[in-house]
Amino acid sequence: MRSVMLLVVPALLLLLALPATRGRYNDDFDDGEDLAEFDDNDFAEFEDVSEDQGTETETAPPPPRAAPSVPADEEDDDEATVETEDGQDEFYDGDTQDQDSYSKYDNEEFEGYETKTSPSFKDNTLILREVPAHLQNSWESYYMEILMVTGLLAYIMNYIIGKNKNSRLAQAWFNSHRELLESNFALVGDDGTNKEATSTGKLNQENEHIYNLWCSGRVCCEGMLIQLKFLKRQDLLNVLARMMRPVCDQVQIKVTLNEDDMDTFVFALGTKKAMARMQKEMQDLSEFCSDKPKSGAKYGVPEYLTILTEMGEVTDGLMDSKMVHYITNHAEKIESIHFSDQFSGPKVMQEDGQPLKLPDTKKTLLFTFNVPGMGNTSPKDMEQLLPLMNMVIYSVDKIKKLRLNREGKQKADKNRARVEENFLKQTHAQRQEAAQTRREEKKRAEKERIMSEEDPERQRRMEEASQRRDQKKLEKKQMKMKQIKVKAM
Amino acid sequence: MSINNMADPRRQNKIFRYKPPSTEANPTMEDPTPDYMNLLGMIFSMCGLMLKLKWCAWIAVYCSFISFANSRSSEDTKQMMSSFMLSISAVVMSYLQNPQPMSPPW
Repeated sequence: MRSVMLLVVPALLLLLALPATRGRYNDDFDDGEDLAEFDDNDFAEFEDVSEDQGTETETAPPPPRAAPSVPADEEDDDEATVETEDGQDEFYDGDTQDQDSYSKYDNEEFEGYETKTSPSFKDNTLILREVPAHLQNSWESYYMEILMVTGLLAYIMNYIIGKNKNSRLAQAWFNSHRELLESNFALVGDDGTNKEATSTGKLNQENEHIYNLWCSGRVCCEGMLIQLKFLKRQDLLNVLARMMRPVCDQVQIKVTLNEDDMDTFVFALGTKKAMARMQKEMQDLSEFCSDKPKSGAKYGVPEYLTILTEMGEVTDGLMDSKMVHYITNHAEKIESIHFSDQFSGPKVMQEDGQPLKLPDTKKTLLFTFNVPGMGNTSPKDMEQLLPLMNMVIYSVDKIKKLRLNREGKQKADKNRARVEENFLKQTHAQRQEAAQTRREEKKRAEKERIMSEEDPERQRRMEEASQRRDQKKLEKKQMKMKQIKVKAM
Repeated sequence: MSINNMADPRRQNKIFRYKPPSTEANPTMEDPTPDYMNLLGMIFSMCGLMLKLKWCAWIAVYCSFISFANSRSSEDTKQMMSSFMLSISAVVMSYLQNPQPMSPPW
């Protein structure tokens, strides 16, 4: 009973003190406020908390919990309860102890009210910081790095797969063409490094996507360079770009001829796009074939193939039945065919105007074929190019036999003379300029030498010498002019 | 005529050696990708090292890989290896100085 009394009294005091503390600043509550003031001090730290009405109800259950931990104190309190003052002090001690135990159980006491109580606590005491990501033992924070490494691995995988595919395609092509080439050429496969001219019998790999093959040793031609220009399957960026814009693998064949293997003409046949591009880019086509490309339908060839030619006679001579047969059957694989005796490659862009001399020309036959499959080729598709190689060989033989008649020859010679004259005219002004500048440079150098001479005597003598030289030159020129005038007369 | 058709067109005495067309007009015709990627890779790796930017270093690694994939066989491997090493060292140095993971720009 007494213990219950002891417990109830502090509870009642608490209940009384809480409203009293709120009214601390109110003078009406002055009397009997000694207790209240004590209460204020004691309960000062709970002031904010005690504003909640709910907390008052919570104080009731904790005291019973606190009770077992304060049995000793209660016994002291029993003795002390006779004198209320002391007892109250001790009650206060008990209260403070209870308050201490309250503070021990703060978290539990205010369990349901964390949202309201936590700000005050956290403002004063706890500041939670986040652990830096690299100190956390989790790989998830490094997701960008993992992405990067995965991308690199994907690139490497694609490189290996693409390289192998290109290599297999090249090998398949070579295997299907080997017999034909070996029966036609004495030298199949040469990379130019061996001392003796022996066939290497294999392709020369220039790149992961370009393979070369040089064949030589045949009548009617000097040699044949075959370039297998595959797509860049080993580069992932290229693979992705090709998904937007499909492109073909290409086989480019360039046959170089001797002087007597070919008559003088320029001819080209191919798709409209290819012809338009080549007419602008190629030096010889732009000079000799100035007409617009004509459709090939006139000669029995599919109409999407157009023809550029120097003379109609050339086309008639070339487009015999066998050639037309070849072209019609494999029209979708033909990108362009270019026969020229004035081949010098694409137009060279020079910064300082025109080049000072004509570019070297070589009699050449150029073939560009598209590999069927539009990028998704399999090694089996390479066999389909074999008939085209037959066409190449046939063309080489045919060109050797094709001769222009007299009219055609005259026309061709006239064309070439015209082109050369134009070129000389264009460069004449430039050559004159170049000579002029050279002469001026010489004069300036001489003058500088004279000026830099310290000795005035020497200077005078040098000046006189240069003057004499100039006079001599003038006299010579005048003599020449006189001679020309006499000749003209 | 039949004899002509059967005749062997091969002529051993007419063999010409292969001359690689390396000197004429090659810089304009050849693909400039490996050279550009090499240069880009070096620039990015220097940026990554000096400015301590992780994404620069990673892009440098990618650039050197792309340059390697597009390179010609005639190019010497020393150049490739040096650009590889430079970009990898840029990545490693960026992470040693600042082990925090890379944050995406969004």
